[in-house]
Amino acid sequence: MTAVTADHHVPTAPSQHGPFRRYVFGAGWIRAAWMFCLFGGIGFGLTVLARWGGGWHPILYTQPIVLLSLLVAAPIGFLAGLGTFDYWTYYALGHPTRAEDHSGHGARSWRDYFRVNTDHKVIGVQYLVTTVIFFLIGGMLAMLVRAELARPGTQFFDTQTYNGLFSVHASLMIFLFVIPAFAGLANFAVPLMLGAADMAFPRLNALSFWLLPIAGVMMVSSFFIPDGAFACGWTGYAPLCSSHQPLGAVFFNQGVQWAGASSIMTALNFLVTIITMRAPGMTFWRMPLLVWANFTTSLLVVIATPFIAGSQFFSMFDHVMHTAFFDPGNGGYALGYQHIFWFYSHPAVYIMMLPGFGIMSEVIAVFSRKPIFGYRLMALSLMAIVVLGFSVWAHHMFVSGMATWLRVPMMVTTLLIAIPTGIKIFSWLATIWNGKLHFNTPFLFALGFLSMFVIGGLSGVMLGAVPIDIHVSDTYFIVAHIHYVLFGGSVFTIFAGMYYWFPKMTGRMYSETLGKLHFWLTFVAFNCTFFPMHLIGVEGMPRRVADYAPRFAAWNMFISLSSFALGASVLVFLYNMITSWRHGEIAPSNPWRAMTLEWQVSSPPPTFNFTEIPQVVGGPYEYGVPGAVHAILTPSHATEVPAEVGV
Amino acid sequence: MLGLGTLMGGIAAAVALLFPWLPKPASDEAGRIDFVFWFAVVICIVIFAIVSAALIYAVINFRARPDDDSDGPPTHGHTKLEVVWTVIPTMLVISIGIVSAIVLGQNDATGKDFMRVNVTAQQFAWSFQYPDGKNMTSGTLRVPVGRSILLTFTSKDVIHSFWVPEWGQKQDTVPGIHPTLHITPNKVGRFPVICTELCGLGHATMRTWAIVMPRAAFDKWLKGTSAAQTSTNTAVSGAAIFKSQPCGSCHTLQAAGTTGKVGPDLDKLPSYAQQAKQPLDSFVSDSITDPNAYTQPGYPKNVMPPFNLPKPQLDALVQYLIQSSKKG
Amino acid sequence: MVAHAEAHLDHHEEHPPVPHYSSRISPSILGMYLFIGSEIMLFGAFFTAYFFVRVVNGTPWPTPPFHLPVYLAFINTCILVTSSFTMHWALTSVKRNNPFGLRAGLLLTFLMGLTFLITQVAEYLRIGFNTGDGAFPTIFFCLTGLHGCHVFVGLTILLFMTIRAFRGHFDAAHHHGVEIGGIYWHFVDLMWILVFLTVYIL
Ligand code: HEA
Ligand code: HEA
Ligand code: HEC
Ligand code: CUA
Ligand SMILES: [Cu+2]
Repeated sequence: MTAVTADHHVPTAPSQHGPFRRYVFGAGWIRAAWMFCLFGGIGFGLTVLARWGGGWHPILYTQPIVLLSLLVAAPIGFLAGLGTFDYWTYYALGHPTRAEDHSGHGARSWRDYFRVNTDHKVIGVQYLVTTVIFFLIGGMLAMLVRAELARPGTQFFDTQTYNGLFSVHASLMIFLFVIPAFAGLANFAVPLMLGAADMAFPRLNALSFWLLPIAGVMMVSSFFIPDGAFACGWTGYAPLCSSHQPLGAVFFNQGVQWAGASSIMTALNFLVTIITMRAPGMTFWRMPLLVWANFTTSLLVVIATPFIAGSQFFSMFDHVMHTAFFDPGNGGYALGYQHIFWFYSHPAVYIMMLPGFGIMSEVIAVFSRKPIFGYRLMALSLMAIVVLGFSVWAHHMFVSGMATWLRVPMMVTTLLIAIPTGIKIFSWLATIWNGKLHFNTPFLFALGFLSMFVIGGLSGVMLGAVPIDIHVSDTYFIVAHIHYVLFGGSVFTIFAGMYYWFPKMTGRMYSETLGKLHFWLTFVAFNCTFFPMHLIGVEGMPRRVADYAPRFAAWNMFISLSSFALGASVLVFLYNMITSWRHGEIAPSNPWRAMTLEWQVSSPPPTFNFTEIPQVVGGPYEYGVPGAVHAILTPSHATEVPAEVGV
Repeated sequence: MLGLGTLMGGIAAAVALLFPWLPKPASDEAGRIDFVFWFAVVICIVIFAIVSAALIYAVINFRARPDDDSDGPPTHGHTKLEVVWTVIPTMLVISIGIVSAIVLGQNDATGKDFMRVNVTAQQFAWSFQYPDGKNMTSGTLRVPVGRSILLTFTSKDVIHSFWVPEWGQKQDTVPGIHPTLHITPNKVGRFPVICTELCGLGHATMRTWAIVMPRAAFDKWLKGTSAAQTSTNTAVSGAAIFKSQPCGSCHTLQAAGTTGKVGPDLDKLPSYAQQAKQPLDSFVSDSITDPNAYTQPGYPKNVMPPFNLPKPQLDALVQYLIQSSKKG
Repeated sequence: MVAHAEAHLDHHEEHPPVPHYSSRISPSILGMYLFIGSEIMLFGAFFTAYFFVRVVNGTPWPTPPFHLPVYLAFINTCILVTSSFTMHWALTSVKRNNPFGLRAGLLLTFLMGLTFLITQVAEYLRIGFNTGDGAFPTIFFCLTGLHGCHVFVGLTILLFMTIRAFRGHFDAAHHHGVEIGGIYWHFVDLMWILVFLTVYIL
C-alpha cells in the first residue's frame, strides 16, 4: 500500500545465502509449490482445530475444509511463494525500505514472463497470453456444448455435466477472458499513452495479475472434483447454487472472489495512474479515448465489483455454513441474490464493453486518418453510460417476481442507455466518413465490431422493452444477444487491439494475410452461429437445456456446424500470433503512423518507456491538421521516418 | 447511400418476414406482445439499415489507394449533426417505452371475472391446483378458452419459470414469495409448458402440457375430476391420482394415455421389477416415495422428485400401476 | 520473443525518467481513498442483505428468543471511537516530529483495537445462537463479522506501523505510512458506528 512512498533509501545487501537455499527459499516456483502445500496444510489444521474447538460436528466436514485450505489458504501460499508479497512483508516487518533496484522490471528472457514482474508491459503480455489460454479452454467447452446440442436428446453428456459445461464456459469467458484481456491491453498501453514510466503501484499490478491464474484454475478444476463442476450458470442464482448444488459451486463462488479482487486492484491502479501520472500538458481533454475508457471502466469496477463479492460470499456461506441469506424456509429472501448480483453484473457488461469502445476509438481514428468526430462527446457519453449503468440492473429481473412497480422505471433507464451508445456509434461512422481508410486487420475488426455490436445492442433494446423480455427471457434470444454484444462487441475489439498493439508488444509485425483470413472466417462463421439463435429463441427454445424439441433440430445442427468453423477460425489467429512472434518481420516503431505516445518510442518500448517524460502539446487525434503534434519527446526518442501503412 | 439503405433495410425486412419468427399467438397477451415486438423490430431495422448503409458506403468510397499516405479532412465535430443523432434515438426509444408500458398495463389487467389456478413447481415437475374445483390438482394445466386466468406460483425448492411460448407470458416461481401471471387463452389446443429457469439437472425435462378447452368441456372436466378426487376419501381411484400428479409428463402409461419419455415406460414395470430383483408392489411404491433408491439403467438419477402421498392414495396408485402395466 | 529479449539487453544501464505528478494528491493516499470507496460498497452489499431480511421480509429484530448484548456493544463502541482519537494524536505528533506521541498513540490505538476484537469474539462465544439459526443470526454474524475482519486488517496495519514507529522510520517529512494506515483505521471506526446503530440500536 505504501509502495510508492519510500521513506528511507538504504541499499540492500546482496544475499549471502548459498545457491541451494536461494533455490528453495528464494521467490519463485519452487517456493510457490511448497508454500502452496504448507499454507494448505495450515488452513486444514486451523479449520479442523476450529471445528473441534467449537464443537461442530462432523469435525472432518469436507466443504469448509476444502474451502478454507484449498481455495483460500493454499492460493495465498502460492502467491507468497512466488514473491508477490516479498516487498510488503519486508516493509511490514520493520526493515528499512528497500531501494528500488528495478530487478523486477522488464523482461530479458522468456523466463521473465514466468515470474513476478513489475513492468506494466510485461504484465500486459502476461495478462494477454493467460487470458487467451482461458479463451481457448472456454471455447473448447463451447465446442462441447455445441456438440451436445447438434442433435436433440442427450448424446455425449448427462444433464448435470452439460450444465457444468456452459457454466464454466461463460465464467471463463467473462471473468478470465474478456475482463482481464481488456485489463491486459490497457496495462500495456495506458502508462505509455499517458507518458508515464509505469503504473502508480507496480507491485500491486503484479499481484493483480497473479490472482488470475488462481481464479481460472479453480473454475476449471471444479470439473475434476467428485459430483462435478458448478452447474448453476454463470449467474449462480440462489437458492439453486447456494444450497442445492454439490461442492463445485464453492469453486465458482471462491474463483469469482479471486478474479474480482484482481479486477478491483487493477482498477484502483488505473485510476491513480490516470489521475496522478499524466505527462505535463496531458489534460483530461487531451487524453486518448482509450485512457478515458479505462478511467470510466475503473470507476465501474471500483464501485460495482464489491457487490458480486458480497453475493458470492452470501451464496458460499449458505452453502458451507448453512446461513439463511437466501433460504426462505429459514427467514431468508431468495430474490436478494439477484438484486445484489445484477447490481454488479449489469455494470459488468459495460466493464466488458467500455474498454473495447476505447480501443475502437484508437483504431478507427488511425486507420481512417481523421480526428475522432466529437471527441468530448465521446468521453462524456462514456461517463453517461457509467452513471446510467448503475440504474438498470433489474432489467435482468423482469420475470423474476420482483416488485412489479420497478419494471417500468428500469425499462426507461435501460432504453435510455441506447442514446449515449448511439452517439458513440454515429460518431465513429462520422469519423470514417470522408476518411482515407486503410483496411488493415485491426480496422477490419473495428468495422466488424461496428456492425455486429449494433445488432447486439438493438436486440438489447428489444429486451429492455418489458413485454418483449417477458416472452424471450431465458431463451436462445438471450444467448444470441449475449454473443452479439460479447463476441461481436467485446471479442472483436480485443482482436482488433491485439493486432493493433502486436508490433509494439513484440517488436514484430503479424501476417496481414492471415489476419484478414482470420477476420473473414470469424465474421461469417460468427453470424451463421449466432444469428439463427434469435429465431429459435423467439420460437420457443429455452436456454441452458441439453435436450430440446425436435422441431429445432435443423437449426441447431446448422448452428453447431458453424460454431465448429468459428472454432477453426481461432486456430488461424493462434497460428498467426505464434509464428509472427517468432519469425515476423521486425516492426518499425510506428507502423500505423499514429499520434498517441506509445507509438513514439521504439517497438518494443525501452524498459522505462521514456528517457524523459514527454511534453504534451496537443490532442491525440489531430490527423490531417497541418503541423499538429500530440507531444514533444526528447531527441533520443526521435523515431525513424514513418513507415508505410501496410496494405 | 439511399439505395444502399433501402437495400440493407430490404434484406433485414426479408429476414424478418421470410422466417416464421414468433409462435402463432394463442392468447390475447401474446398478440399484444407480438405487436410490441414488431414495433421494435421495425425501428431496429431502420437503424440497422442506416448504420450498415453508411458503413458500406464508406468502405466502398473512402478506401485509400495503396500509395496514398495523406490524411482525411480534419473535421472535429458538427454540433447540429450531433444534436440530431441524440434527439432522434431519444424519441424512438421513448416511443418503444410508451408502447411497452401501455401493453404491460393491458397484459396485467385481469378485470373482475377471472379464474384462479395455483401452480406449484418443484424439481422437476409442475402441478396445478384449482380453487374453483374443490382444490383438486392436476399434472397438466387445463383451462377454458376466452377466460381470464390468474396463475399464482409457489415453489417448493429453487427458482423455476413458467412459460408457454404460444401464450407469450412468463413468470419465475420463487421460493418464499407468490408471484402471479395473467393469461387469456384464445385458441383451443395443446401447448407445451416449459421451465425456463435453470433449476438443476432435470431442468431440460421439466415440461408438461397446457390444454385449452372449450368452456363447456372444461366445466365438465373440472366437475368430473374434482368429484373423482374428492371422493378419494371413500374409494380411492388410482387413475385419478395418476392424472392429478405430474407423472404423465415424464412417463408413458397406455392406460392413462400419457406418452412422457423422460422416465421409464410404466407399462413395462413388471420387467423392471424383475431386473431390480424386487417384489413388484414394494418396488413400485419405493420408486415413487424414494426414486433414488433404485435407478433404472439408462435414466438419470435425481430427476424424478420424491412424492409423499398419503398412505391410501399411494396404495391406490401402486395398485393402479400394477394393474395397468400387467394389462399392457 | 527473441526480438523482445534483444531490445532489453542493455537494461541495467537504464533508469526510469523523473516522474511527473499531475495531481497534488499523493498517489498512495488517493489509492487508499479509492480503496475505501470500494470497501464502502462491500459494506453496502452486506447492508443490502440486511435490508432484504429485515425490511423486505420483516424479520423480527432480534428474533426472539435471542437478544443482543447492547450494553456491552456500547462500551465496545466507546473503546473503538476513542481509538480514533489516539490515532489522530499519533498522526499530529509525527507531523510535529514528536516520536513519543507517535509511539504512544499507535500503541494505545493498537491495544484498544485489540480489546475491541477480543470483546467481539467473547461476545460471539456467549451470544447463544449460531450462524445456522435463521436469518437474524445470519445477518448479525455477517455484518459484525465483516467489520471484525476489517478490524483485524486494521490491527495488522497498525502493528506494522507501530513496529516501524519504534524503529524510528517516521518523521515530519516521512509519515505517509502513518497517514494511510490512519485513514483506514478511521474508516473502520466510522463503519462500526453504522453497524452498531443498525444492528444493535435500531
Ligand atoms: C458486452 C456486454 C453487453 C452489452 C454491451 C449489453 C448491452 C445491452 N443489453 Fe445486455 N446482456 C449481456 C451483455 C451485454 N449487454 C449479457 C451477458 C446478458 C445475459 C445475462 C444472463 O442472463 O446470462 C444480457 C442480458 C440483457 C437483458 C436481460 C434479458 C433477460 O435475461 O431477460 C437485457 C434486458 O433489458 C439487456 C439489455 C441490454 C441493453 C439495452 C443494452 C444496451 O447497452 C445496448 C445499447 C446499444 C445500442 C442500442 C446499439 C447502438 C445504438 C444506436 C445505433 C442508436 C440508435 C438506437 C435506438 C434508437 C434503439 N441485456
Ligand atoms: C465473451 C464471452 C463469450 C464468448 C466469446 C463465447 C463464445 C462462444 N459461445 Fe458462449 N456464452 C457466454 C459467453 C461467451 N460465449 C455466456 C455469458 C453464456 C451464458 C451462460 C449461461 O447460461 O450461464 C454463453 C452460453 C453459450 C451457449 C448457451 C448454452 C445454453 O444456454 O445451454 C452456447 C450454445 O451454443 C454458447 C456457444 C458459444 C460458442 C459456439 C462460442 C464460440 O465463439 C467459441 C469459439 C471457439 C473457440 C474459442 C475455441 C477455439 C479453439 C480450438 C478449436 C482448439 C484449440 C484448443 C486448444 C489448444 C486446447 N455459449
Ligand atoms: C420429472 C420427471 C418425472 C415425474 C414427474 C415422475 N417421474 Fe417417475 N421417473 C422419472 C425418471 C427419470 C425415472 C428413472 C430414474 C429412477 O428410477 O429414479 C423414474 C422412475 C420411476 C419408476 C421406477 C421405474 C424403474 O424402472 O425404476 C416409477 C414406478 C415411477 N417413476 C413412477 C412415477 C409416478 C407414479 C409418478 C407420479 C406420481 C412419477 N413417476 C413422476 C421421472 C419422473
Ligand atoms: Cu424447473 Cu428449470
Ligand atoms: Cu444488463
